[in-house]
Amino acid sequence: MNHTIKRYLKSFFIILLFIQINPLKAQTIEVDLSGTWGFQTDLMDFRRGSLSPRYNHLLQGKIELPGITDDYQIGYKSPYRYIDRLTRKYEYMGPAWYQRDIEIPASWKGKRIFMYFERTHWLSSIYVDTKEVSKIDYISVPHNHDLTDFVKPGKSHRITVCIDNRFQYNTHKWNHAHTEFTQINWNGILGKMKLIAVDPVYIDDIQVYPNIADKSVKVRLQINNDTKKAINGGAVFKISGTNYSLSKEVQVVCKDSVTFIESIIQLGKNIKLWDEFNPNLYTISCQLKTSDDKVNYQHEKSATFGMREVKQGKNHVLINNRPVHLRGNVENAVFPKTGHAPVDDASWERIMLLMKEYGMNHLRFHSWCPPEAAFRMADKHGIYFEVEMPMWGKDAEPDEARYNFFRREIKAILKEYGNHPSFVLYCNGNEITGNFDFIEELTAEGRKLDPRHLYSGSTARTRVKSDQYYVSQQTNKGPVKVYEGLPETDWDRNTESDVDVPVISHESGQRCIYPNFEEIKKYANSPVEARNFEVFKEMLEKNGMGDQAHDFFRASGALTVLEYKAVIEALLRSSKSAGFQLLSINDFPGQGYAPVGILDPFWDSKGLVTPEKFREFCAPRVALLRYDKSAYFNDETFKGKAEVYNFSNSEIKNAKLKWWLTDDAGKVLKKGNLKTQTIANDNVSPIGEFSIALNGITVAQKLAVHLSVNDQVKNSWNIWVYPKNKSLMQSTDQVLYTTVYDDAAQKQLAAGKTVVLCPMPNNVKGRKSIFHNHFWNPIMFAWPPMTIGCLIHQEEPVFKDFTTSYHTDWQWWDILNNAKVIEMQDTPGQLRPFIQVIDSYDNNQKLGIGFEAKVKGGKLLVLAVDTQKDMDKRPATQQLLRSIDNYVKSDKFAPKVAVEESFIQSFLIK
Amino acid sequence: MIRIFVLGLVVFFYTPLLSQEITLDQTASLEQAYIDSVKSENLLPMNDLNIESGYVLYQSEISTESESAELELENVRDYAAVYVDGKLKGTLTDNQKKIGLETVPGKHQLQLYVENIGRITYGPEILDNSKGLFGSVTLNGEEIRNWTITPINVRNCPVKNLTFSPDTNSQVPCFYKGTFNLSSVRNTNLDISGWGMGEVWINNKYVGAYWEQEKQQSIKIQAGDLVQGNNEIVVFELKNNQKNTMKLSETPVFK
Repeated sequence: MNHTIKRYLKSFFIILLFIQINPLKAQTIEVDLSGTWGFQTDLMDFRRGSLSPRYNHLLQGKIELPGITDDYQIGYKSPYRYIDRLTRKYEYMGPAWYQRDIEIPASWKGKRIFMYFERTHWLSSIYVDTKEVSKIDYISVPHNHDLTDFVKPGKSHRITVCIDNRFQYNTHKWNHAHTEFTQINWNGILGKMKLIAVDPVYIDDIQVYPNIADKSVKVRLQINNDTKKAINGGAVFKISGTNYSLSKEVQVVCKDSVTFIESIIQLGKNIKLWDEFNPNLYTISCQLKTSDDKVNYQHEKSATFGMREVKQGKNHVLINNRPVHLRGNVENAVFPKTGHAPVDDASWERIMLLMKEYGMNHLRFHSWCPPEAAFRMADKHGIYFEVEMPMWGKDAEPDEARYNFFRREIKAILKEYGNHPSFVLYCNGNEITGNFDFIEELTAEGRKLDPRHLYSGSTARTRVKSDQYYVSQQTNKGPVKVYEGLPETDWDRNTESDVDVPVISHESGQRCIYPNFEEIKKYANSPVEARNFEVFKEMLEKNGMGDQAHDFFRASGALTVLEYKAVIEALLRSSKSAGFQLLSINDFPGQGYAPVGILDPFWDSKGLVTPEKFREFCAPRVALLRYDKSAYFNDETFKGKAEVYNFSNSEIKNAKLKWWLTDDAGKVLKKGNLKTQTIANDNVSPIGEFSIALNGITVAQKLAVHLSVNDQVKNSWNIWVYPKNKSLMQSTDQVLYTTVYDDAAQKQLAAGKTVVLCPMPNNVKGRKSIFHNHFWNPIMFAWPPMTIGCLIHQEEPVFKDFTTSYHTDWQWWDILNNAKVIEMQDTPGQLRPFIQVIDSYDNNQKLGIGFEAKVKGGKLLVLAVDTQKDMDKRPATQQLLRSIDNYVKSDKFAPKVAVEESFIQSFLIK
Repeated sequence: MIRIFVLGLVVFFYTPLLSQEITLDQTASLEQAYIDSVKSENLLPMNDLNIESGYVLYQSEISTESESAELELENVRDYAAVYVDGKLKGTLTDNQKKIGLETVPGKHQLQLYVENIGRITYGPEILDNSKGLFGSVTLNGEEIRNWTITPINVRNCPVKNLTFSPDTNSQVPCFYKGTFNLSSVRNTNLDISGWGMGEVWINNKYVGAYWEQEKQQSIKIQAGDLVQGNNEIVVFELKNNQKNTMKLSETPVFK
């Protein structure tokens, strides 16, 4: 009985993995190979050299394809909690074997037979029965194995595929085609996988080169003829689009095994251009009918294209001869849900729609090239791509094998994706060092091969002669990076951007947010887990602040949002900049883990800013305002110089321009108009200046200056207005103001009275205080002071007369730049500083600039802020001191937590 | 006659396209851009001098006992021009941290002019973002001590306040000045081929930086920064290759 079941199971198993192909009459036949495959791991890398292939052994496991080993918990079950990245639950790197028995129909005699895998990592090799017959090691394009000479129609073959995801060349381990930092270095086969049979005279390649002036396309066909005979016939092109259809036939004569045919097709006046605003797409199909007098051959191939040309402008990329300004995001293959970049249209469509939703028109694929579906969806929605090879760092140092890999890869990318109108920019890779003659060689080769894109040698490194644009933090004229904002806005990056090629600001932003531990649960069904978050969370809890995790996330997140508004507006004010690439709208889960996004790694909103609010400062049309500062005394005048960034597809005729000032409740306090005018597009235009006297503002408050264009384009900026606070820090019998903790202070406390201690920052041990939250992340860049913004306990009565949110905004600039951060971890857990600085999440110490406590029976308030220097220029610090004064002299001031005097002495330099 | 006329036409039309040479025949000492010196027994990185980026001069007295001595540094971030008694001996980078110094035996002034190109953004050294010179520095294995460390205000230097004098034989890092005449004003490229590493101002406006190690050997000059007639150029040169001419070029220059 047992024996019978086993036999039954065995035959079931074989049937399952055996494909019998229905012999169809069609000239081209595609057979889907997805489904169950035989499978075996080979962690010891021995099968290839063992006797198993020679004996044609049946693999003993099973796997569903398309898929990756992680989907089936294959590999080393990681017991670790990686701190610098998400942890892959099951790690696998090595050869893995996949197998199927396939009967090749007898009717396929004379056809070319290919086995096609849309995307795999990195080397795929195919064994037909006992022999290895084909090997391909592209990263960025499909693997199309030609099996014609190795399979026999009418016979069943055991096809064994070896996928080896080890690094086949000595390339940088961080590139986003492979890295464990973002999409993992998976092993498997993804996307379409099929067996293809075509007639021996077939179209290997179709490339379409638009000419917008002439309203024509030049079509270039590569026809392969494996008949060894001369053939002739015709190719019928059909071009179709919305309300458009056209066909043209050309004669085909092929005497050799490879023939190139070029034809110019006039498209007529109804053809429409493609760009971000009108992504008009057309399909060209080519039906090839040939014969060698005895046998007829037929093949069809099609491609999608758009009528668009890209050129190098003076400072901008030109699309159809019009300058575009790139508002982009750096895309790093962040897909933790699947552990690999998606290959389906729906997933990529979601990303393109998110780009549009957040006002962007550009994606830079950092050190990788996405699959076809990404291009398809960008074509459809009008997103401009920069794509790169898996190249980074020292990859240009001499290594012929590696060089040859890149020489093949660039050609493959251009051939595979060159028709897509969304493929606007090509760059070899990221921040490359080494031999720049090699970089120039690749760049010049690309320009020669395919003029449909602009080329650049490397981001942010040495320029080469063939560069047509340059993505960098700096040019030889100075920095073009913008990583952070300022409390004033009358600045830009024009001078520094104005070099011999268009310049795109590299990896803008990068402002770190405290992790949102709520995300831990989102990884339940992913190949990776946020075990680093668990470590951070446990540390925070151990340090007595577990309940503050969400507040740290919210406060640092709000700061990142206002930094990104400032960063993006600075780059929009830079009319001579070709654009920016934000790093990034979504989190980067490696390189130490960089939660810099307003979206999480799943591209879901963190709830920090709505797309509508984001589009106020990132969109084709944005109202901009240049002003000198954010914090004012009420005897000053706000002066604004208004500009309109208009990189939409039309001018704004008779634009009505309004400004108005509101208070925090939204009530309009003042308003006015600028001169109605027509605002040109493709530029940033000054539209007028206005002043607002602030003398009516008697109470310290936050106001907003608004600017609108035709009531449609709106933007606003927070300013703070304060009365002049005279006679601050006046000691009374009850309240002693001091900068030193001396006998007088101790006596005052011992008498049960109040001391306000404002030590000079250089007399305080502790960290430097800065306005900005940490750059990128504290694990990769361990740059002091390793803080990520402040949590302001706004509900505390100490802030009653100082308008503030729970997070810092630009009014905090002069306070934080003149302060020192006190290490407070050793104080009682209940003590929470009212100005609480957020420590890096791999350290989680309690930090503060201002706190209150019971000391020696008295009441102490400490503010580690310089209260002496330039006070007449620091309205916000004055107001904070006023609020503190009102507080400490009221009955509300009753510190609850007692601390030892030794703590106070511990942070003061004697 | 016809031939001369045609030639004349060609010369007429092509004159603007020919490279115009600029002679920089005045120099100003770098001391004018020094910021307060710090004395330290050991090297201090720029970070400890509160300098984010820019130039620092590290000076010490050395004693040599033979005609050749080997200078070795533990860290060079990112570029140092090595001078002994005001004469260029070569350059150091983090990949090339040793240099032979040929001198007569005796006491000499060692001057290391250092530029910080940028921060490390990947690789194993990423956690160490000290800049300038730090760690050990030895001459024939003997530690060199007692440094005078001087930050130099180059990028924000008010070049119009510098005092220049006619001199074309300077061998040390310094500012150069020259003038050139333009009959018409348009965008152009300043060809710096042959110069070492430095920064350029035209008509007192900062226009850019250069380095002989880059493939691009020109700085774009906007028409708006030029005037018809006499224009003034100031150059800061760190690795003094003793060149005193530059050119204007129609196209960007790459090597």
